[in-house]
This record gives sequence, C-alpha cells and structure tokens, in this order.
Amino acid sequence: MIIKVISIIVLPLIALIIGFFFLGLSRKVIARIHRRYGPPISQPLIDVIKLINQESISHGKLFDMGVILSLAGSVILVLFIPFGGIAPLATSGDLLVIIYLMLLAPLGVALSGGEAANPNVSIGISRKMMLALGYEVPFLFSLLAVMTWYKTTSLVEVVKAQQSFLWAIFYLPLPAVAYFMILPAMLGIRPFDIVSAPQEIASGTAVEYGGRYLALTTIQHAFHIFIDIALFVNLFLGGGNLLTFFVKMLVVFLLGLFINAVFPRLRIDQAIKYCWKWPAILALVGLIIARII
Amino acid sequence: MVNPSLLIGLPLAFAFSIPLFGLISKKIEKYIPIIALFINMVISFMLIPQILKKPIVVSIGGWSPPFCINLVVGPLGILLATLISGIGFLVSIYAVSYIKEEPTEKYHILFLLLMVGAIGIVLTGDIFNLFVFFEILCISSYALVAYYKDKEGTEAAMKYLIQGSVGSSFILIGVALLYGFFGTLNMADIASRITSANPTYLFITLAFLITGFGIEAAIFPLNAWLPDAHSSAPSSISAILSGIAIKTGVYGVARMVYTIFNANSILLFIAFLGLLTLLIGEMCAFRQDDIKRLLAYSSIGQIGLIIFALGIATSLGVFASLFQIVSHALAKALLFLAAGYMIYRVGSKSIASLNGLGKKMPLTSFAFTIGSFSLIGLPPFAGFVSKLSIVYAAMQVKKPVFLAFIAIALIATIIEAGYFFKIVQNLYFKEGKNLDKITESSGYILIPIAILAILIIVIGVHPQFITGLLKASARELLERAGYIGWVLGGT
Amino acid sequence: MQLITILVVSFLGAGIVYLTGKFSGRVRDISAVLVSLAVVILVGLAYNQKIYTNFYSLPFLNLSLSLRLNYLSWFFAIIVAGIGFLSILFSLEYIKDYQGVGFYYFMMLFVNAGMLGIVLSADFLSFYIFWEMMSWGTYLLISYKGGKAVAAGLKYIIMSVAGSLAMLFAIVSLYASYGTLKFSSLASLLQIASPGYILFLLLMFVVGFGVKNAIWTLHTWLPDAHAEAVSPFSAVLTGVLVRMGMYGFLLIMYSIVGLSLLHKLGYGLLNFNYILCWIGAITIVIPTFTALLQNDSKRLLAWHGIGQGGYMVLGIGVATSLGIAGGILHTLNYAVCGALLFFVVGAIEHRTGGVRDLNELGGLIKRMPVTFIAGLAGISGLIGVPLTNSFVSKWMIYKTLIMENYPFLAFAAFIGTWGTILSVYKFLHNIFLGQLPEKYKDVKEVPLTMQIPMILLSLAIILFGILPGIPLKVISGIEKSFGVEPLSTTMFGMPKEIGELNLINILAVLLVAGIVVYLIFSLSAKSRRVNQDDNYAAGLFVPRGKYQYSARFYDQAYRIIGPYLHDVVDDFYYWLVGKSKSSFQIVRQIYTGNINTYALYILLFLTLLIFVKLGWGL
Repeated sequence: MIIKVISIIVLPLIALIIGFFFLGLSRKVIARIHRRYGPPISQPLIDVIKLINQESISHGKLFDMGVILSLAGSVILVLFIPFGGIAPLATSGDLLVIIYLMLLAPLGVALSGGEAANPNVSIGISRKMMLALGYEVPFLFSLLAVMTWYKTTSLVEVVKAQQSFLWAIFYLPLPAVAYFMILPAMLGIRPFDIVSAPQEIASGTAVEYGGRYLALTTIQHAFHIFIDIALFVNLFLGGGNLLTFFVKMLVVFLLGLFINAVFPRLRIDQAIKYCWKWPAILALVGLIIARII
Repeated sequence: MVNPSLLIGLPLAFAFSIPLFGLISKKIEKYIPIIALFINMVISFMLIPQILKKPIVVSIGGWSPPFCINLVVGPLGILLATLISGIGFLVSIYAVSYIKEEPTEKYHILFLLLMVGAIGIVLTGDIFNLFVFFEILCISSYALVAYYKDKEGTEAAMKYLIQGSVGSSFILIGVALLYGFFGTLNMADIASRITSANPTYLFITLAFLITGFGIEAAIFPLNAWLPDAHSSAPSSISAILSGIAIKTGVYGVARMVYTIFNANSILLFIAFLGLLTLLIGEMCAFRQDDIKRLLAYSSIGQIGLIIFALGIATSLGVFASLFQIVSHALAKALLFLAAGYMIYRVGSKSIASLNGLGKKMPLTSFAFTIGSFSLIGLPPFAGFVSKLSIVYAAMQVKKPVFLAFIAIALIATIIEAGYFFKIVQNLYFKEGKNLDKITESSGYILIPIAILAILIIVIGVHPQFITGLLKASARELLERAGYIGWVLGGT
Repeated sequence: MQLITILVVSFLGAGIVYLTGKFSGRVRDISAVLVSLAVVILVGLAYNQKIYTNFYSLPFLNLSLSLRLNYLSWFFAIIVAGIGFLSILFSLEYIKDYQGVGFYYFMMLFVNAGMLGIVLSADFLSFYIFWEMMSWGTYLLISYKGGKAVAAGLKYIIMSVAGSLAMLFAIVSLYASYGTLKFSSLASLLQIASPGYILFLLLMFVVGFGVKNAIWTLHTWLPDAHAEAVSPFSAVLTGVLVRMGMYGFLLIMYSIVGLSLLHKLGYGLLNFNYILCWIGAITIVIPTFTALLQNDSKRLLAWHGIGQGGYMVLGIGVATSLGIAGGILHTLNYAVCGALLFFVVGAIEHRTGGVRDLNELGGLIKRMPVTFIAGLAGISGLIGVPLTNSFVSKWMIYKTLIMENYPFLAFAAFIGTWGTILSVYKFLHNIFLGQLPEKYKDVKEVPLTMQIPMILLSLAIILFGILPGIPLKVISGIEKSFGVEPLSTTMFGMPKEIGELNLINILAVLLVAGIVVYLIFSLSAKSRRVNQDDNYAAGLFVPRGKYQYSARFYDQAYRIIGPYLHDVVDDFYYWLVGKSKSSFQIVRQIYTGNINTYALYILLFLTLLIFVKLGWGL
C-alpha cells in the first residue's frame, strides 16, 4: 500500500524528468542536424520556471480550467502506463481506459483555447482534431492487433507476456512499424507540427497562452512525449526494468527524431492521407494476421 | 313480435307520403327520412336478440315457402339491415342542412327508395325479388348521382347507368337461367337442389350473376363507374353509395357463391380478384388530387379487402370480411360526410384547398382524422380490429398462397397510409389560404359525424358489441344447410 | 392493478390535461407537469416487483390482453417516465408561444403513455396496439411545427407503418402457429420451432424494430424527424422513443427466442447475431461520420442518435453477458446524454429565435453558462470521456468485442467514437466558444424550468459515470430473466475477473492531480483578466464579431471523407417512391373515362370467368 502511494507520487516526477530531458534533447539534436550549436538540454525546464513567474492574460474561467484539466489528465495517464514494472493503477484501468484518458489533454486545451475569440486558436483546434482522426486509425489498428494477439486488454498482461518470451515487435512487426510511423503525428513534431505551426497560425492553440498557461502546456507536452513513447515500449518492446525501459525509450525517441527532422511540414490533408495510407494499411494487415493466427 | 317486413314497408310508405306531407308544409319534408329511418333502426335493433335465437321467415301471400314471396331475416340480413338503416338515419340528419338545392322533395323520396332497395336486397329470400330490389337501389342511385344536374354529375350518372344496366341484365339472365333449371325462384329451394343441375351450365349462370353483382360491388375491372359516380354525387349520397350500396353488391356475390351455388372452387379466384381490386384501388387513390375521387378509389381498395377476406372462406375469414364491411361503412360514411362539408365551406374539391382547416373546423377535421386512421387500420379504432381479423384469418388457413396474398395486402396498406396521412397533415399542419371566413360545421352536420366517430372508437375499443352478431352472420353464410332449413323446414 | 393504474393515470392524465387547457393555460401547464411526475412516482414505486395481470379480453379472437412488470420493463419504463417528465418541464417555457399548446401536451403525454404501454405489455397484441398508438402519436407530434416538419412526419410514418406491418405479419403468424401471443408461453413454445421459422420471425421483427431504432438502411427517417420536431420532443424521440426498438430487440431476441436458440441460427460466421453485429457496426460508422458534415445542430445530434443506436445493437448482438449488459446500459446512458443535448439545442433555439445553424452561433458561453455546462456534460457523455456515463457502457462493449475476438467490430466502435469526438466538439465550439456575434450580445440564460432538466441530466451523467453499479444492478436482474449468466458488478466498476475498471480510483487520482496542478497554477504569477476580443494575431487585425472560425470547421477532412458519405439508402428510397408513383400513374390509366372501354372490361371479365372455369376446371 505504501509502495503504491509512493509510486503514485514518484512516477509522475520520473515521467516529468524524462519528458523534459527528451524535450531538451530534441532541440539539441535538431540544432546539430541543422549545423547549429543549440540550447542546453535543460533549456525547456529553465523556460518553464521563467514562465511561471511571468504575468499573463486570462480570457475566463474555462480558459484556466481547460489548461488544468489538460495537465491533470496527462498526469493521471502516467499512472496507468507501466514504467519498468511500476504501474500503481493498472488494476483500475486497462488499455481501453488509457485510450480514453488520452482524450482529456487535447479536450482541455481545446476548451481553454475556445474561450478566447482568436480565430487562430479555432484553426489550431480543428487541425488538431483532424490530425487525431488521421493517426487514430493506424493507432487503433496497432493497439487492437496487440490486444487480439495477447487476448487481453490489460497493458500489464501484455508486458508480462512479452517478458516471458519474445517481444511483440517480432510477432507483430507491421503494427509496430505503423505505430512508429505515426509517433511524430501523435507528438505533434515535424513533419506533423501543423497544429502549432508558428508561421501560419501563430502557434495555433497556444497563441493566447503566456506565463503560467504556457508553462503548464509545456509540462503537459513533456508528459505527452513520455506517455506516447512509453506506451510504444510497453506494447512492442517488452517493457523492462527501470534502466532498460529508459534506454528503449531513448532509442525510440532518437530514431524518430533522426528520421523526421529532415522533412518539411505537411499540409493537414496530406497528413490525414499519409496516416490513412501506409501506416493504416500496415497496421490493418498486422491486425488481420493477428486475428487469423 | 315486430314483423320484419315493416323494415321494407315503412320506408316505402314514407317515401311516397313525402309529397303529401309537402302539401302541409315544405319544411316537414326533410324530416320524414329521419323519422322513417329512425323507426327502422329501432325495429332492427329490437329484432337482433330475437333473430340471434331463431331466424324469422316471413311468408307473404299465405302460402308456405317455396311457393310464395318471402323474407328471410337471418343474422346476416339483420346485421346489414341495421347497418343500412343506421347509416341512412345519420345521413338523413346530415341532409337536413346539407341538401339545399331544389327539388329537395325528390331527393328525399329517392333517398328513401334507395334505402328500401338496400334493405330489401339483404332481407329477401327470393331471387327475383332480389333483382327487383336491386333495380330499385340502382335506379334511385342513378338519379341521385345526377342530382346537381351539372355536367360532371350527369356524365357520371350516364356512365353509371350504362354499366349498371349491363349488370342488371346479367343478373336477370342469371335469374332466368336459374328459373329455367329449377323452376323456382326461392333461393333456399334453388340452393337445396343445386347439385341436380349440370355443373357447366350452372357455372355459366354463376358467372353472369357474379359479373352482375360484381359491378355494383365494384370488383376490378367492373368498377369503372364508381370513381365518377361517388365523386360527383352530393356528399350525403356518396356516403351512402360508398358505405352501403356497394356492400349490397358484396352481399349479392356472397349469397350467390356461398348459399346458392356452394361454389367453393371459385373462392380462391375471388380472393385473388379482391387482392387485385385492393391494389389497383389504393394505387389509383394515391395519385388523386380530388378529395372525393380519392375517397372513392379508397372505397374500391377497401372493397377489395372485403372481397379478399370473403374468399378466405373460413368462418373467421367471413367474419373478418363482415367486420370490415361494418368498419368501412362507418369510416367511409364519416369521411364523405366530413369531406363533403369541408368542400362546401372551402368551395373546392382539391386536397390542397383543405390546408389548415384543422384550426377552422376542429371537430370536423378531428372526425375526419379518426375516420382515416380507422381505415388505415390503426388502433384503437374499429378498422384495426377488422384488419387484424383479416390478417389472422388469412394466416390461419396456412396456405402459402394466402400468406403471399396477405403480404401484398399489407403492402397496399402502406400506400393507403401514404395518402391518408398526407391529408391529415394538410388539415392540421399546413398553412391555408383565405380561411378567414370559414367556420365550424353546424349542428345537423356535426351530429352524424360525431356519432360515427364515436361508434368507430367504441367498436375499436370494445369490439364485442358486434362480434356476436358478426359470428352468427358468418355462420349463416358458411352453413347453407341451416339457411335452407330455416326456409324449407327440417334440418 | 398497479400497472393498470400507471396506464390509466398516463392516458387519462393526457385527456384531462387537454380538457383543462380549454379553461386555463396555467392550470394546463401545471397539470401536465403533475401528471408526468405522478407517472414517474408510480413507476418508481413499482421497483423490484413482479406483476402479471390480464386487463382485457377479445373472445372472438380468443385472445386476452395482459400486462406484466419485470426488470426489463421497469428499466425501460423508468427511463420513459423520467425523460417524459423532464421534457414536459422543459416544454413549459419553450412551447408557450406556439399555437395549439393543448394539443402538444396531450400528444406528449399520450405518446409517453403509449411507450409505457409498450414496455408493460405481456403479450404481442397489446404490445402492437400500444406500439401503433405511439407511432401515430409521434407522427402528429413530429409534424406539429408545420413547414418542413410536415414532410419529415410523413417520411417517418410511412417507414414506421411499413415496419409495423412487417411486425404484424410476424405476430399474426405466431398466433396462427401457436394459438397464443403471451410472451411467456411463446418463449417456451418456440424452443421446439424450426430454425427457419425463427429466422423468419426475427427478420420480420428486426425490420419492425429496426425502423424505430434506426439501424442502417432503415434509418433515413430519423435525421429529418429529429431535426424538424420541437426540441423537447426531439429529446423524447432520441432518448426513449427510438429506443423502443431496442426494447423490442431485447424482448424478441433474449426474452422470447433465447440465447441457446439464437446460437443455432446460421452456419459459422453467417449467423444471425454476427450479421446483426455488423449492421450495428455500420450503423455506428456511417452515421457518426455523416454527423461530422452537418451544419444544423439538431441534424448533427440526430445522426449521432443513429450512431449511438449502433453501439447498443452491437452490444446486444455479441450476446455475451458483458455485451448485453453494455448494450442495455448504453440505452440508458444515451437516453440521458441525447435528451440533454436536445435540451441544450432547445435552450439555444429558445434564446436566439430558433437558430440551429452552427455557423451563425458562437461565444454563448458567457451569456448562457448553465447551458454551456450542460452541453459540455452532454458531449462528454456522448463521447464517453472517463467518469461520464457512456464511458462505462462503451468500455463494456469494447471489452467484450476484443475478448470474443472481433477486432474489426471493435475498430468500428472505436473509430465511431473518434467521429463523435470531432463532430460534437464542433457542436460545442460553434455554439459556445469563439467570438460572440454582435446580435447575440443581449442573450440571457434560459429560465429556471428549462435549467432544471438540464442540470438534473448533467448530474445523472456524472452519477452513472462514477457509480455504474446503480443501473448495472437492475441490468443483472434483466440478464437473469434472459437466462444469461448475470454480470457481477461492483458499485464503482468491474470486478477483477471481468476486467480492470475502477472508476472511484480514477476519480480520486484525477481529483488529486487536478488539485496539485491547480495549486501550481494558483501559486504562479497571477494573470490579468482581459476581454475575449483582446487577442494576439501576429500583427494582423481580427475583426470583432465577424470572425468566428466555424464554417466548414473540418474542411480538409470533409473533402476526403465527404464523397463517401452520400446517403445512398435515402436516395434509393426516394427512387423507389418516385418509381412507384409513376407506375401508379400508369395503373390509373386503366380508368380511361371512356364508357366503351368500361363496357369492354365487363364483357372481358365475364368471358375470363367462364374461360378460367372451362380452361382450368377451377
């Protein structure tokens, strides 16, 4: 019981640290690819601390509550995803619950942004929704392939089954590849940074955020990176202990970064079509194989 | 004990006394049919319990059957006689304020004669008398159709006259042939000896009779007169023609097929004809823009359903058919009366002109709605119980062909629902034009409409009021030995 | 006796309300509320009772009409009564400026009474009678508003009549075969029937109930009807009236035919349940994505009504204990969310003068905060955001589909949810968020009698979302009566052996996380409250009151999916009607108006008659 409570407190902190590490790392890596020096890895954390102390503007109650909901939703999501064998709330919710809890963060941001009357926010939200519709198709196929293969909806069970024998990526390579292909879309990074495109729609949903609002959304983004990659590691790479889990996450993240950093930004319709084409077909084929065998 | 011959005698006497009353005062005339038919209705109601116990055979002229003209008042006869006098009574109330165009005197005489003919048809036990009463009915209705003396009415009456005359002559040929075979005109007597004649000749006779009665019964393709006649007659007469007159044709067909000829082999064909009539009637009705023509075609459809049920030939089938006769008579009389007065108020027969009347003539529209819902067969109205009985009767015989027939009949119901629901919407939910001066119908109009609407609901909610009589009537048709026994004695 | 009282109160109450309306509008309004409240109380008191009564008999057909109460009928009866009461309450202000208010209340109560009759009936004849009374009552109510509603009403009733007749066909066939229409007797008699006959019966009933429940290919009446009816009645339509089809499915499939017999229908994958599941899946996907394309707020919700019906059908189609429970629970959950959302639209209509076009609204959150919260609760419930009611029922359906190895059906259900998220978010955003147009600057919150129903339903969404054990207890009772192994549940979710779901834990961590985040938020530097229009636009000028980004909100997605979502079924029906009309026109030509032809017909008929006799020897 006490271990549970401690892990409930500690796990979000670990996630936060890893998330910020990845955020900083990505800026550094991209800079190096662009032949720049880049900021220090701790830069995102420094930014957040600075932002928290800055004054900001608010458009109303929902503007505040949405941001809070978004971050809180991400925090609790961390508790449902096993991290190196720690999964304090795994018995309270399975993969289905996780899929639905993933909704809270974008819903919160959308509601919050909506109260401001800035058209750029609305455009950002609509792009976010459409992009989500795009990547959800291969994402759901991949998840279903795993759930069908292991005949369970529990993520803990999935991890356990992989640890006793081969990782899922060896049985289900196609869904794994599909998930990997849409990972940048889920994280909203290049070439899928359509939602927050600064040059087109002034950062979209974040346009009205300053100070603590921007700080909270940055924290939320850090969690988000952690969640999406941890989910991948759990689903396809067999989880692991604390150390191996982190290493696997790092490998996945860097791999994704290297591949995607060189692409230009897509248009939203290109993004949807992309998601519905190769990733979806691969994941679907994987699902059919999982269903038949 | 009341003598059933009064049922025919009284209206006849009153009919010819109308000119005499006219001498006293012009105003009295129009109340004479009400009085006559009210008495008739009371008498027939009084006779019902008696007849359910034991049918009454009245011999005229002192001889005993089969050597005399006689009336056979069985359950079927009294059922239809009650229905005829009841609806006739209500329509005559309606006519008091509806019929204003001269010569009203002639209208009332002809109307009573029509009643005499109809009641005579269902009560007589003599086939030649049947023909005579039939002619009385037909001739008075020819005249009444042309009552307004406009082009439309005259043309319709002319067409009706020609086709009706062909029918009458066919009946006469049939009657003559029968007389030639058996030397008797008493229906029970013919029925008892029917097996002694050559089946082929007999069938040809039956074919003539069915065609003859079929014209009045509006079986397809003998019904071409009906849409014209029913739509151009005064609405009170349309109500009578649709509610009652065509039913006497059905009665004729049923009496011939079941009682006299015992022609079981032709029943399937009759059912098929009924189905065809139903389909064609509903299809044509769907495409009408004239409310009275629409109702007339709908009558064809309903007659089709009645004939279809008659062709099922089980006790339940005949029961259902008779039930449908009653429910259709009530509903269609109601619809014609209500529509007639709406037409009178708005001055046009087109369906579109009824738009928005629900607010101006709430009671009339409400009654119209009840009537149309009952015809579609929606609970809790009378039409539902009768339609349910028909469906059940068709299913109960457990023959695939009837299963297919009833499925088609149900599809026809969808078409029927299509046009009736549209009219109801027109009444209530569409905006009308130039409705400012329109007011609710007056008392003489509303009373019969309201009574019919109440009857439809009462029978729909508590069908047991009439099912006993209907069951007995169905038995009368199916057990011909019983009928022969009443008239000729013995079993 | 208790059941008869319920029906008498509801039917007579309707009449009394109408009559009082002749004297005083106020008394009528109050009595309408009282009657509907009385019905709720009467039904509520009947909880957990088993009653059977004969109330009428038709000796000439050897039939008796009877009523019964069990868990299934109580469950549906309380939903009917509850939603009925709330929509009457909502109507008080909403309807008062319409014409024919007395008629409206009468029909509302009458239709409610008809629905209570349906769920309380113990035999098919009473079932059918109440069913038809409900159907034509609905037709009158849909057409009530006039204008476009007239065509919608006609479309509804024609499809409904067609469905009812299919049902009547099956009912009469049952009676002809078994001589009884009592549910309980039929349930045992049918166990020895041939699979072919059972399949025929089920097909007929599926058509009958499918029209009401708007399963795909029979759904085309629903968007028009829901959109054109007055909003309180739309709430009744979507929440309970359409779900009478669901009740019918449960009744015929599990109460009467039974699970063991259903399993025998078909070979391998081509069995009845599996096909029904696929119909359910299609009903989820196509309508929810069609909803995405709608710009009329009520049409958007109407399409979701169809889509959510798909989840229910899918749930009961899987035929596992979890699936059936999920399907039934979703019926309740959708009734709550669907009714609530139509109330929200009704409230907006009431205050903006009947505006339903999503592109014309916007920014109303500041003017109508209660309505906004209700709308938020409603869409969250519809999506199935965790801790709202539909989450539990959808979870149950997904779970059973995955465990039974139907991943493609599960995918359909999941992707349907994503379609729902997109379109209901657009619904909420375009009405309440973004810029407030100048013309709505003086809009006020709706009066209290309209707020109360919305608040109650919003609370119900949260309540059933955290404590699904309350309805699930009744549902296990229903499953027991079906002979299905009843689902064991806990108050806050599912026990371990079924799956991992504990809502109170989720609620607890969400609250804790929320509080922690809130503390961080409030300890940070304060923010300055600015006007909504005080925006950053990267140096560009944002025109006030004119720049609500809402028209073609998901334009790029529309272009991709739009062409595939054309309602071909509806086109087919219109084609069919058109063809029938022109063929009727041809048939009409039989009556040429020429007396010569008519005389010819007569002669032909006579010859035919004789010919048939001589030729075939009939």
